[in-house]
Amino acid sequence: MLEAQAVTKVYETRGVQTDALRCVDLQVGEGEFTALAGPSGSGKTTLLNLFGALDAPTSGRVTLEGQDLAALTASQLAALRLAKLGFVFQAYNLIPVLSAVENVQFVMELQGVPPAERRRRAMQILDEVELADLAEKRPLEMSGGQQQRVAVARAIVSGPRVVLADEPTANLDSRTAAQLLDLMEKMNQERGVTFLFSTHDPQVIEKASRTVRLHDGAVCADEWKRDL
Amino acid sequence: MPWQDFLRALGDRLTWRFAWRNAGRNHRRTAIVVSATAVGVGGMLLAMAINFGMIFEMVEAAINTEIGDLQVHGRGYEDKPALEVRITPQSGGVEKLLAGMHGVRAWAPRVLGEGLVFSPRTSVGVRVLGVDPDREAKVSVLAGSIVEGAWLDGNLRRLVIGERLARRLQVGVGGKLVLSAQALNGDMVGEAFRVRGLFRTTSRALDEGAVLMRLDESQALLGLGGDFSELVLRAQPGADLALLQKRLRRRLGGGLEVKTWRQLEPVLVAMIGMYDQIGWIVYAAVFVAMAFGIANVLLMAVYERIREIGILTAIGMTPSRLVAGVAVESLLLTLAGVAVGFALGLGSVWLLRDGIDLSAWGEGLHAFGIPTRIRPVIRSTDLVAPVAVAVVTAVLASLWPALRAVRIRPAEALRHV
Repeated sequence: MLEAQAVTKVYETRGVQTDALRCVDLQVGEGEFTALAGPSGSGKTTLLNLFGALDAPTSGRVTLEGQDLAALTASQLAALRLAKLGFVFQAYNLIPVLSAVENVQFVMELQGVPPAERRRRAMQILDEVELADLAEKRPLEMSGGQQQRVAVARAIVSGPRVVLADEPTANLDSRTAAQLLDLMEKMNQERGVTFLFSTHDPQVIEKASRTVRLHDGAVCADEWKRDL
Repeated sequence: MPWQDFLRALGDRLTWRFAWRNAGRNHRRTAIVVSATAVGVGGMLLAMAINFGMIFEMVEAAINTEIGDLQVHGRGYEDKPALEVRITPQSGGVEKLLAGMHGVRAWAPRVLGEGLVFSPRTSVGVRVLGVDPDREAKVSVLAGSIVEGAWLDGNLRRLVIGERLARRLQVGVGGKLVLSAQALNGDMVGEAFRVRGLFRTTSRALDEGAVLMRLDESQALLGLGGDFSELVLRAQPGADLALLQKRLRRRLGGGLEVKTWRQLEPVLVAMIGMYDQIGWIVYAAVFVAMAFGIANVLLMAVYERIREIGILTAIGMTPSRLVAGVAVESLLLTLAGVAVGFALGLGSVWLLRDGIDLSAWGEGLHAFGIPTRIRPVIRSTDLVAPVAVAVVTAVLASLWPALRAVRIRPAEALRHV
């Protein structure tokens, strides 16, 4: 489903070049619940951004369902993200001027789903993440854990093929993080959505069915914990 | 196509709702933009209302004092305004000529000549206006402009003159004057008159250099018989003057010229046009200055929302939609400012509805035919200009911040805290 072939990414800041990824080859299959693990600066987020069509590799090829992302324009990439990808970020995931239910509906609105239908689906998914009673609250009126659950709901509601989550538990206490992981695992198992995390949280690594370890921009281990 | 996507986004409720919420998220900044726009628009509206009020007062004064809505002359009078070019009424007179003419409220014949008026102390060259006292009172304010003495009536050998002319001639009401003029046949004629009344109008030329006498006496003095020089007409309120002019031309035939006040006072018409042009230029200048402020505020807003832009891009918002969002936010801020500006401007005009007293500059204004009390006037077109310019300004001002927003790479934006 997702594939990186000999991908390198070099950042240049004031003439100084930094290798963020070095010749990475990785395949992520449909329905996986995979963690990209590694210390800070190992290239986890960079790889996640490349898979999410949020950045372009310096060299190599990134594909989603066989489609080379480098061949697409900015508008085509936006359409691809809208149709096939969901995102959960570390923090400040939600649009502050929109309520929880509006945040969840936002992607469907961009997709052109009729108002009544998107409201119904948004309330249904908020109910699944046990936040239906906070539907009209704005992000600042919710806790970090609640915001992350709304972000998961938003990522899932439009029926994406893959959800990319960048350190989703980093700002949460262990109990809230466990609840969030349970929720994402449930979505993975019940809806068959592929999840790819970047993390250095042992709780996430423990939960993941596959852990790809990165070090200094290269894959150093690829561990399967159980069969899917 | 990005343009099609942009236009689609502009018509999308989501874009407007999102922009509306964004516009309201920083109250102080929004208040600054709205206030700046409101003060600019309100101030301009008031300035334009005073300017046009002044011009319309001038036009009204000119129409009411002397020229009327339409005038009829013998053909060639405009090129050669002399006694020879005159109107000879057909049998039945002007009444028959204008019978059943829809849209005409009043009319009056006038004799226009040149002469010299002598007082015991001095003499002054004057315009001689022969008027029908009753009819003239219906087409002009001259009868109502008497400040001393009385208007013309059935008494013979009476003149009404401007109080300025009276000062020059050093005569008062009841004083004796001799009027000398060249008659139609070229003979010099003269008669003695008594001053019956003194008038004061907004027309300096009239106040300083005209004598008014009975129509029949002027016709007799100048040897015109039953002929006269011009026919002044007042139209019914709201009447279409061009249409009335066309119908009069048909009715009166080719030997006479029919002109509207616009053709008789091209300078005033040119002034109205000129003020219109100036209005657009000043509005554009004010809005260009405001555009920098709006662009600056939006740029700050974009920089504050970099991470948010990254998230929006990540979840599938296209660059065109982002640009549309910033443009609509700019439009909402500007239109809110225009609305408040309208309220300020219209409120100020309402407060000044009784007019602005400029009598302190009365002498100077009188020289230009400007009344000393000016009532601000707002025309519907004065409300169109700021909206049109504001829309263009808002969209242009948003382009710079919007393009900055779409140039931010999503991954880079998401790193921003």
